[in-house]
Amino acid sequence: MSVIARNRVRVRGVADGRPMVFAHGFGCAQEMWRLVAPAFAVDHRVVLFDHVGSGRSDLSAYDPGKYGSLDGYAADVVEICRELALDDVVFVGHSVSAMIGVLAAARAPGLFGALVMVGPSPRYVDDDGYTGGFSREDVAALLESLDSNHVGWSAAMAPVVMGSPDRPELTAELTDSFCRTDPDVARQFARVTFLSDNRADLPGVRVPTLVLQCRADAIAPEVVGRYVHAQVAGSVFTLLTATGHCPHLSAPEETTAAIRDFLG
Amino acid sequence: MGEQRRPDRREGPAGLRRLLEEDPADLYENAPCGYFSALPDGQVVKANRTFCEWTGRPLGELLGVRFQELLSIGGRVFYETHLAPLLRMQGMVREAALDVVRADGSLLPCLLNAVEVRDADGAPLLVRATAFEATSRRRYERALLAAQRAAAESEVRARTLQEVVSEVSAATSARDVAEVIVRRSREAVRASGAALWLATERRGTARPEPSVPPIQLVAADGIPSDLLEAMESAALGGAELVRDGGVHVVPLGAGLRAVWPGLAAAMADTGQEALVVVPVDADSRHLGALVLLLGVVGDSGLIDLTPPGERGTLARADADLLATVGRQAGQALERVRLHEETVRHAERSAFLLDAARLMASAGDVGQTAERLAELAVPRLGDVCVVDLTGEHGTSRHAARHGDPARQPLLDELGDRNLSHLAASHPAVQAVELGRTVWIRQVTDDWLAEITADARHLEVGRALELVDMVCVPLVADGRILGVLTLGSDRRRGPLTAADVEVAEQLALQLSQVVEKGQRLELETRTSHTLQANLLPPAPPPVAGLAAAVRYLPASRGADVGGDFYDVVPLPGDQVALAVGDVVGHDVTAAAVMGQLRSVYRALLADRPPPSAVIDRLQAGWSLLSLQRMATALFATLDPGSGRLRVASAGHLAPLLVTRGGAELLDVRPSRMLGAPPAPGPAVEWAGVLSRGATLVLYTDGLVESRDADLDRGLTALLDVAARSGTADPDELCDRLLAELAGGVRADDVALLAITRRP
Repeated sequence: MSVIARNRVRVRGVADGRPMVFAHGFGCAQEMWRLVAPAFAVDHRVVLFDHVGSGRSDLSAYDPGKYGSLDGYAADVVEICRELALDDVVFVGHSVSAMIGVLAAARAPGLFGALVMVGPSPRYVDDDGYTGGFSREDVAALLESLDSNHVGWSAAMAPVVMGSPDRPELTAELTDSFCRTDPDVARQFARVTFLSDNRADLPGVRVPTLVLQCRADAIAPEVVGRYVHAQVAGSVFTLLTATGHCPHLSAPEETTAAIRDFLG
Repeated sequence: MGEQRRPDRREGPAGLRRLLEEDPADLYENAPCGYFSALPDGQVVKANRTFCEWTGRPLGELLGVRFQELLSIGGRVFYETHLAPLLRMQGMVREAALDVVRADGSLLPCLLNAVEVRDADGAPLLVRATAFEATSRRRYERALLAAQRAAAESEVRARTLQEVVSEVSAATSARDVAEVIVRRSREAVRASGAALWLATERRGTARPEPSVPPIQLVAADGIPSDLLEAMESAALGGAELVRDGGVHVVPLGAGLRAVWPGLAAAMADTGQEALVVVPVDADSRHLGALVLLLGVVGDSGLIDLTPPGERGTLARADADLLATVGRQAGQALERVRLHEETVRHAERSAFLLDAARLMASAGDVGQTAERLAELAVPRLGDVCVVDLTGEHGTSRHAARHGDPARQPLLDELGDRNLSHLAASHPAVQAVELGRTVWIRQVTDDWLAEITADARHLEVGRALELVDMVCVPLVADGRILGVLTLGSDRRRGPLTAADVEVAEQLALQLSQVVEKGQRLELETRTSHTLQANLLPPAPPPVAGLAAAVRYLPASRGADVGGDFYDVVPLPGDQVALAVGDVVGHDVTAAAVMGQLRSVYRALLADRPPPSAVIDRLQAGWSLLSLQRMATALFATLDPGSGRLRVASAGHLAPLLVTRGGAELLDVRPSRMLGAPPAPGPAVEWAGVLSRGATLVLYTDGLVESRDADLDRGLTALLDVAARSGTADPDELCDRLLAELAGGVRADDVALLAITRRP
């Protein structure tokens, strides 16, 4: 199984441009970047991919052991970069992928030239002297409620997982399939996302880093973004006017501009 | 019903039309679903009355609030991670399951459909959404989900059990079984650690039971070493930890702190909140315990959502699962134990058979002890020592170590044999008590007590013995010695079966030693007797040179009745005799002695050789001699060389001259003790020329197991003819060297007499 097919890696833009790898967060897939990535394709080599278990990645490659922690995902990122022989990579990670980028950079020192963290959080659960935005009960409740959206999905997902090219009517019905995931995979990805604690990894980041923070982000509140900024020496903190957790969808121009500003 | 009119039949079209002429505003406000519109960032800008009523919030309170803020925590995350992206990307969302928080804090389960209204350039302007109450559906879904989870968990338990069964069935040792049980049970109940202890069997001791309960850690997983040590010492200090029945959850509380403060502290240090003790039983026999720790799971890497203080609980189904796993473990351990016992039994049988073969082919006792000790290590133990008691006290006959590197230690102990050992030494005790002494868990204090000096103690420590067993060698109530077997730390304790084998070995060895000692005594007695019965050396006789040889048979216990005699008679004559009493024992030797005495008494009358035979034959019954004998009697006159020879069933004498060798044609009469012949014995008479040698011999010289007499006589003539010597000593040596060989079945008596030239 090639890495390219496993992670549905797609490369766009200028072949000899500086490589930019866009990593989606928990929930959807690489399509999340479609309002931002094209803006960089004019002068960058843009790499998009799906995490294994998300979007249209190869589900058969999903190994609960490997993906039981963010390290498994970070290993894939490094593998993709090596497969494409990338160098001086700008890694743009949304949400949980911001931490996957931190781990990947630690795994392959020298491979990455910059990190762009969109709505990062090193730990969602509050801890002594740390605000993550969620109490233990909150996270337990959210993991529980995410499951309820999977009940209806499991039945609908079955043909997609099994592959039914001879039933095109399913394709229409499943237009939002890129945000759908196998329920078991989604459950574990949610657990790994919301139960990881990567605070100790932040001081190890040695590459120029941009923290992009939205206002009124219910998932990664501003206090968390500022924490990340404080922990990563020399990082740049940009507070967007955009609200919510997905500025690359809700405010693509502002997001693009902020990243361009940072990259210079 | 029949009386009632059905208005819709007649009024239907008009009424229906009227009903359908609805006020759009009323339709919006009082629709059977909640409606609202929001800006792209979620700010509610319009909502119908239904939605306001359902949520319990007046319109004024809703306007300006972002919709996602009305959602439960899970809904908010779902909105950000799924709903908002989908609206942006595909313009609509169907049937998103969300919980809206009502004004009173209760939840309104909804299914939400939404569309994004865009401008000509595709930029988002507005989100329009309908919310359907889905309380029943959600309840149904929750029930379904709960059932699915219960089924999944039950399937996981069933699979755990299946895996345990299949994996332990492949296990061939207690350690393998324990490792499977520990790993699988830990996974099954998400325990932070697990370990399995087994009771070790200890029976039949000569010392009082050690105060510590005999348990042994067989496998552990996920437990830091400090905590494991605390658990072990707690288990050692309180046997009920492993002996209690049923699955027990022991929370880290006042009770635990009071009984095992060390364990409680170690648990608190590592964030553990409870111990689960699962009995490992087989057929109601208690074999040991599986102990799991509940608390902070150190190796998953993810945050544990269970608040501290609530991790030490075990679901009923998990407790049942563990109880079943414990029983499976017990059965598997029992099966493995039986298997191991069968293998060990076969090994012991093979060992005892080898030992029996060795002892059947045994040479002398010392050699047997040495070979037996070599056989015993390392098959039966690491150290095997054989001490034997003899006429001069006790001495060490063999001391072997299975590890050649440690053999010098035993060699050093060699001179510290029984007579030098402390009275408390188990070997001494075994001899004194006349029974097996089994020392288990050799301690340093004990070593100090039984050793003779500092170096002895040092060597004892270096041997690292954990167990020792001393078995006395007993036959007919006599202590013959002691067999000592030891096992060191690397092998572990001896088992009851090992001790049993040592006892059987000691029994076999006792028989060999007893038989050997008896044979040695008999042999020594017979040979002493024979040596005393034979004249030490022939007296010098003028004109003659004589040489005699006596060689006992090779087999130690056999004694011959062979004799020779050279007696100068009054006058010039010399009487010569060689004889062979039937049998190879003390009786034969005794008969020979008597026969020689009687013969000497007869010589006083200077009878001719034939007369000696006749008189012995005649008086045989009066002598009460119990054995028959062959004999050759001769008289020789050294001056003239005149020689007379008579034979009582004996082999013909050999004449060796310069020219060659020949057998004298002496006609033998009947054996002494046989019914007397009808006529007198016939005598051969001739002259022994100067330089010639007469050789008298017994059949041991010419007869052997694998060669007949004729061939032996031919060989005798051949060797004698080739010898070319006139020296009787030299001739004797030559004949014995070439004819008697190294291994003799029979004694040899040889008498050579040369007439000086």
